[in-house]
Amino acid sequence: MNHHGGEPAPGVPAAGYNLEYRVAHLKDRIAGGALGELGVRLEVRGETVLLTGTVPSAHSRDEICDLVAAELAGHQVHCDITVADASSPDHAEDLA
Amino acid sequence: MIRTAAVGDIHMAPETQGTLRPAFETLSECADLLLLAGDLTRHGTPEEARVVAREIQGLGVPVVAVLGNHDRHDDRPEEVTAILEEAGAQVLEGRAVVVDCGGARVGVAGTTGFGGGFVGRCAGEFGEPLMKEFVRYSRRCADGLRMSLEQLGEQGCDARIALTHYSPVPDTLAGEPLEIYPFLGSYLLAEAIDTAGADLAVHGHAHAGTENGMTNGGVRVRNVAQPVIGRAFHVYHVHARQPVGAGTVGEPT
Repeated sequence: MNHHGGEPAPGVPAAGYNLEYRVAHLKDRIAGGALGELGVRLEVRGETVLLTGTVPSAHSRDEICDLVAAELAGHQVHCDITVADASSPDHAEDLA
Repeated sequence: MIRTAAVGDIHMAPETQGTLRPAFETLSECADLLLLAGDLTRHGTPEEARVVAREIQGLGVPVVAVLGNHDRHDDRPEEVTAILEEAGAQVLEGRAVVVDCGGARVGVAGTTGFGGGFVGRCAGEFGEPLMKEFVRYSRRCADGLRMSLEQLGEQGCDARIALTHYSPVPDTLAGEPLEIYPFLGSYLLAEAIDTAGADLAVHGHAHAGTENGMTNGGVRVRNVAQPVIGRAFHVYHVHARQPVGAGTVGEPT
């Protein structure tokens, strides 16, 4: 059954409060805004949101984690984002 | 043997200035050239491009690059290209360059490439104008890569390398959600590589992917996105071969 406007049916949460949709739009903001970060994955795990991926700097990681925590206040946010390793390689691959 | 260093997806911005420079300064000891597989900046602004330029200037090895989708986001790819070229890099789009690496002539053909997906699971040139243009654009990128590799074949290079941002094969996307593969690469790039022939294909773009793959024609593919290789760059030792002419379908040279 479709509801066109008005209040949602009893027991059906409004789309604006649906965690999955909020996370999807938040991911768009992280990708398209000043952060410009497409390499971070946001996944809903029950009432918890898990952030994974690798970013170029600790500053980027902190900005993303702070933004998600603020936008999803009331939900638990786990930030497992790592910072890219900028060290030299210790070996080469031979493609013989 | 050609010591080929490569990295992509370094996504530089003013805050990351200098982070790669210490590792890059060791390149002259371990590599003959550096390939940059796109997404060098975060948004493709001239300011970010200047950060990359300072990072790669005067490294003592030739630098060959393609742009990535991030480097085009600000709609100023020509400015980004000019800034990187001023710093000494060759930025390829549908063209090739021959680099002298300790007496060996290494040909690098490059394009950003585009998406569309892989055989049996790909977009078709049908329907809405936007959809048709999506596939046509991907085909134009692949055609540019094929023609550039063929030109290198005619020039008798000791080794030929295909440099793209988007992936030519699904192998190196393993780890990414299957649903987004069509946005990560196109089999048209692999078809171009196999048709013209190459010794190595290098790409980036898929941060959660896998380093190693191979085209149907047996050309080795390496995803060098920095989050994948977990280093400032990786080095591949490519052995000089007798060049094979263009049109050797399905055979690595």
